[in-house]
Amino acid sequence: MKINSLFSSSIFLKVIFVVSVFVIFFISAITFKHLTSIKKTSFYVERSYHVSLELERLISYMKDAETGQRGFLLTKDSSYLKPYYESRIKIVNSFNRVSQLTKDNSEQRKNIYKLKFLINKRKNYLSKNIYLILNNISKKEEFINNLKIGEITMNSIRNQIDTMDQIEDRLFKERTKEYNSTMSVTPIIIYITLLITLLLIALAFIKINQDLKRLKSSNDKLTIADESSKMAEIVGNFGSWQLDLGTNTYSFSDNEYRLLGCEPNSFEASLENFLKYVHPEDVDYVVENVRKMLVNNNLPAFSYRIIKENGNLQYFTAIARYLTDKSGNKIMIGVTNDITDDYISKQLVEERNRELEANNKELSAFNYVASHDLQEPLRKIQTFISRIAEKESENFSDSGKDYINRIQNATNRMRLLIDDLLQFSRTNRNEKVFENVDLNTLLENSKQELSQSIEDKKATITNEELPISNVIPFQIQQLFTNLINNSLKYSIADILPIINIKYEKVTAENENDIPIKNKIKFHKITFKDNGIGFDQEYAEKIFELFSRLHNKNEYSGTGIGLAICKKIIENHQGYIFAKGEPNKGSIFTIYLPVI
Amino acid sequence: MAKEYMHIILADDDEDDRLFFTDAFGELKISTKVNTYNDGVQLMDYLNNDDAILPDVLFLDLNMPRKSGKECLAELRDNERFNGVAIAIYSTSSSEEDIEDTFVQGANIYIKKPNDFNVLKKVLSDVVTINWQYHTSGLNKDNFLLRM
Repeated sequence: MKINSLFSSSIFLKVIFVVSVFVIFFISAITFKHLTSIKKTSFYVERSYHVSLELERLISYMKDAETGQRGFLLTKDSSYLKPYYESRIKIVNSFNRVSQLTKDNSEQRKNIYKLKFLINKRKNYLSKNIYLILNNISKKEEFINNLKIGEITMNSIRNQIDTMDQIEDRLFKERTKEYNSTMSVTPIIIYITLLITLLLIALAFIKINQDLKRLKSSNDKLTIADESSKMAEIVGNFGSWQLDLGTNTYSFSDNEYRLLGCEPNSFEASLENFLKYVHPEDVDYVVENVRKMLVNNNLPAFSYRIIKENGNLQYFTAIARYLTDKSGNKIMIGVTNDITDDYISKQLVEERNRELEANNKELSAFNYVASHDLQEPLRKIQTFISRIAEKESENFSDSGKDYINRIQNATNRMRLLIDDLLQFSRTNRNEKVFENVDLNTLLENSKQELSQSIEDKKATITNEELPISNVIPFQIQQLFTNLINNSLKYSIADILPIINIKYEKVTAENENDIPIKNKIKFHKITFKDNGIGFDQEYAEKIFELFSRLHNKNEYSGTGIGLAICKKIIENHQGYIFAKGEPNKGSIFTIYLPVI
Repeated sequence: MAKEYMHIILADDDEDDRLFFTDAFGELKISTKVNTYNDGVQLMDYLNNDDAILPDVLFLDLNMPRKSGKECLAELRDNERFNGVAIAIYSTSSSEEDIEDTFVQGANIYIKKPNDFNVLKKVLSDVVTINWQYHTSGLNKDNFLLRM
């Protein structure tokens, strides 16, 4: 973004530069043109002035010639003829000068011809009278006539010169005007263009200044980013490197060296030098990966071992991406990560997991085998006792009968314990196959299983419609059986047991009992009975294995049934809670996630 | 049935169990002929004899040395000759797995060995007096496990 704006700004500056150069050229051209025209104008002005001056001189020379002639005519002293002749020469020279000055003005040119004719005529009549006197020719009439014509011609000359003067005067005025107008427009144009140039330069200056500021701030940011990336490398235990594909040269970050246990820049960054630290068994693997990277311009993450400068074995992963920078250089940018700690802890966790799994397997196998194999001799003991009790009872004394009775009770209890233990270990052992089943069916099966007991106790069981859910069917059936059995077992002696089973679909966050607050939906099923209940302080203890709240002579529980319930619920990622009130009853609530 | 007695065979490696079994039938007021075999191999050797008298009901223990009850069951149900023999599984185990397996393999009923002699007598009496044809035709997993 910033780089782009700087980039466009440099284009802008180039445009300003080119425009400024053109403007300056323009100003120079205009100035040159105007100066030329000024020069020309002043030349014309000067010439008009000279023409007028020369015309005046011409007439004055004419007068001089006339005065000289008159002096001679009056005095007949030939000394007066000297200024006369001098004037004649001056007249010719003066006329030539005027003629020269006006040669490129066609209007004046015609007047010059006229003037020349008149001057010649005048000169002619002047010289005629002088000739008469010098030769003593007394022709009074002709003499006077010559004077008259001379006089007339002289007037004509005056008129002619006036006319020419007027023309020059007009020309002079015109040229002066032209000169003035040129002189007044030129500075304005120059001034305006100069102003524009100044404006452009000022604009360019502001722009350059802004760019400089931006450049400085992005430079500062770059410095900070560079520093923070160095810190990140140290904290995150990783290093970075670059490979210029054009020149095939590497560069390593400071931390890349530190990962190897070296001081930054302590050796030249190259593949060969790096490979010296790679574990000898992994060198080929690393080389092969680098080769593939150069072919594919990509390096997917791979792991290898390193032997640090101090001899420690470390685990690294490397990954690299291909990049073309703005100048078109092709580079691979790579990151090396020291994963030794992760690797070791992962190894450790895996090892522990394996141990734990093996232990668990052993334990449940032991549990299963123990309880299963214990059944066999116990069953026989029970069967033999039942035979003795039946066949031999008349041969026993009263105390003998009592002992037999006690043996029977003890073996019965042992059987219960073994059955429950077996059940408990099966909840762990069996494969957990989830199926979509109708929970109503499972409940019916449970009731069926307990039908004898339900009948004996004259219990009433009501239930709401249960959902279809994805569960491990025989486990959930076991759960229902255990809960109902529990209610039947701990019923109050004189009161007929009533068990109410209710169902609703709930959201985790709306249930106080569920510790996790989220939108996950649960099937909530409650089993409420009117049995002996329990003190609320034991609400959690009753789910522990072998925990019993009552003497085994009063109630026949083994302390395993509810532990099995808890295990089953855990297998389903659900929750089970108990609420009790002594002599009122208990409520067992189960939550099964809706899957 | 033309025979005046029921022919019953038990294969079980446990001597005590064989004793309970024969004692129970001895006390029952049903005329039966009970043969016992000590393991699967003995049993199959007998049954595979061409002139062997096939039993009406065969009781099979599952956990036996040399040849287990399940192996015997598989062999028997593979052979059309034994189609008429009702097979009752007679085991200490009542694991879902065993019940499921033997049901699928074609056993007719599953009995968990009782721990009371009187119960044993009642169970055996029930089993041999079942109308097998009726029981087998309505066979399903619910009435497969004989409940006591």
